[in-house]
Amino acid sequence: MSTPARRRLMRDFKRLQEDPPTGVSGAPTDNNIMIWNAVIFGPHDTPFEDGTFKLTIEFTEEYPNKPPTVRFVSHMFHPNVYADGGICLDILQNRWSPTYDVSAILTSIQSLLSDPNPNSPANSMAAQLYKENRREYEKRVKACVEQSFID
Amino acid sequence: MGDEGETMTNNVSENSEPTANQDELILAQQRQIEKEISDNIPLVGELDSVISLNKEYSTDDIYLEKIKDLASKYSYVRRTRPDGNCFFRAFSYAILEKLLCDKDSFIKFYKIAENSKNVLVELGFQQFTVEDFYDTYMEVLKRLKDIENIGEAKKELHNVFNDQGYSDYMVVYLRLLTSAQLQKEHDFYSCFIEGDRTVADFCHQEVEPMYKESDHIHIMAACSALNTGVRVLYMDRGTGNNVTKHDLPEGCSPTVHLLYRPGHYDILYP
Repeated sequence: MSTPARRRLMRDFKRLQEDPPTGVSGAPTDNNIMIWNAVIFGPHDTPFEDGTFKLTIEFTEEYPNKPPTVRFVSHMFHPNVYADGGICLDILQNRWSPTYDVSAILTSIQSLLSDPNPNSPANSMAAQLYKENRREYEKRVKACVEQSFID
Repeated sequence: MGDEGETMTNNVSENSEPTANQDELILAQQRQIEKEISDNIPLVGELDSVISLNKEYSTDDIYLEKIKDLASKYSYVRRTRPDGNCFFRAFSYAILEKLLCDKDSFIKFYKIAENSKNVLVELGFQQFTVEDFYDTYMEVLKRLKDIENIGEAKKELHNVFNDQGYSDYMVVYLRLLTSAQLQKEHDFYSCFIEGDRTVADFCHQEVEPMYKESDHIHIMAACSALNTGVRVLYMDRGTGNNVTKHDLPEGCSPTVHLLYRPGHYDILYP
């Protein structure tokens, strides 16, 4: 059945294949276009470098008028990622605009890895270490990077 | 449910976690409220007499007096769903409904709409996403244009605007056109924006996102984008027994008449 959401997701997928941004990839799951798997590669020159972080993106029929639910499946240590993998990012909540697509979502999350916002913490330990003990923060992040190879 | 329980336990065991996923809890509650509204109120309702508004204010003398005044000027009201998109939905519906009775104006409107995607792309909107809304918008306009019988066309308009997928796309596209208008004339509109936000910021935060309510500034820009005028009848608890009318832009001869009650717009008919 073709609905605006499904039609739009086909377009998002096509664009992601034809014009993929560096360091991210994503595709619908085999039997359901409303659920996608995605991977974000840790950005260079950040402690996340070399990590391959897996995510799921769940859309509703209200997409693109409402944002999808995006969640890290890989274990993350980041000031703006909750213990359950949920992401605290304005464009996924109150600043969502229907002009964003999957590409834009993934690249925004990628830049969140490079530039955490410790003032709006979802993981207060990560936020505190990020602000006060950068070495320890990086150590904990590196552990996630290594774990991401195994996951 | 299981997930929530798990998160809570994690929080207790790891003392440093301040919250369950608060964002999701808030969003879930918001969704629940929205669902109650959407289950009970259609996106765009049938015509109802202005006097029917009395039911909503049976014990409120100020409103009852004002409804009496409103009823002396208008006969019917068409309610829209209060979901933050009411202005855009009401405006878009009302203007198309009017145009259906005037083929020449409709064709003119259609031609301007056809070219609007290029205007948006030139302003820096991403072609790929704009195209999605534009295609649907034009599909609806074309469908309406091709129906000869006015009554049939109005019925189709009503159906389209009550089909959430189409209806919301019509709203989004008008939001984009409004945003483009604001940005094109940013010198003028910047005076109306509070704080130190730029017009572009304002558009990204208050105009383009769905469910964001409309203010005076949205209405001015939307009128200007569609090259039309609107009369808004204000009905609130303010002093006096009369509703207050306001034409936008000032001095225009309005094609669309809207009823404003604090936080909400409906369509009015003579």
